[in-house]
Amino acid sequence: MMNFFAIFKLTIPVLMGYIPLGMAFGLLLSKLLIPWYYAFFMSLFIFAGSGQFLALTLFASQATILEIAIATFLLNLRHTFYGLSMISAFKNFSWKKHYLIFGLTDETFALLKTSEIEEQHRERAYLIITFLNQCYWILGSVVGAVLGNVVPFNYEGIEFSLTALFVVLSIELYKKSRLHQPFFVALIIGLFGMMFFPPQKMLILSLCLAAFVLIVFKRSMQDAE
Amino acid sequence: MQSSYLIGGIVIAMLATYATRIIPFLLFRTREPSPLVKYIERNMPLMIMVILVFYALKDVKWEVYPYGLAEIIGVSVAIVLHVSFKNALLSIFTATLTYMILIQNVF
Repeated sequence: MMNFFAIFKLTIPVLMGYIPLGMAFGLLLSKLLIPWYYAFFMSLFIFAGSGQFLALTLFASQATILEIAIATFLLNLRHTFYGLSMISAFKNFSWKKHYLIFGLTDETFALLKTSEIEEQHRERAYLIITFLNQCYWILGSVVGAVLGNVVPFNYEGIEFSLTALFVVLSIELYKKSRLHQPFFVALIIGLFGMMFFPPQKMLILSLCLAAFVLIVFKRSMQDAE
Repeated sequence: MQSSYLIGGIVIAMLATYATRIIPFLLFRTREPSPLVKYIERNMPLMIMVILVFYALKDVKWEVYPYGLAEIIGVSVAIVLHVSFKNALLSIFTATLTYMILIQNVF
């Protein structure tokens, strides 16, 4: 049985990324003169990094409810691909899987997809991973909102742990994957997207392009198996 | 800002976010995913992860000093360590520390 500490260890990179990112979110919220407990409720109920930053921007410009709905939906549309990759994984889980679906952020998805946990312990481990990640996010955002700019040490750059996490998990998935072309296709699309797509739409456009290439070249990719 | 506006906005942002996450599960709740969906399910995660790396680097200013050098070095450290030692925490810690030292003290 996977003990709690082993599961906690998996989430440490997310801890290192979510605390400073959450604090940056809380800081922005306090600059907009929104009371600190809204940081708590947003991180509790929305739980989406870039989605919450976007929400603050929209609040600041007094966007309408419809604008908030459409912009948030489009920004987070990439999560649909994450769900698509987790259908079989969550299939036999109890009603608690709704929390897993709710908590499927970029980072949670990355951890769940690459963790190697025996099937009978998987649901519990997945729930703990998602819960811990959300705790880090809530903690960071509340601390940021309450403390504002008063931070004891220079943690500039610590959010790079999320970049490093994605690098490491890419290598792990590459080693596990039967097909290797999708990796190289994604490298090209990612590089292209980073250079030419508008930053705020880069992720969803690149993911759609990747899904498109994957489907169109299905035959030639599988022939190479 | 009015609290009714904030609460309404938060509820809408919550619903919109949750919608994007639950759509695929609703689509395939009763019917079995087709071979095409299974193929996407199998191969998309690797592509997502690689694209997330570039997404995390999207705000780097490549054309001005230090030309994204800290990010390139940080990513290289993560790759080399992970290919050599296969220890995720070691790779992530060392790469992050290297990056922090570089942007705080060198560049």
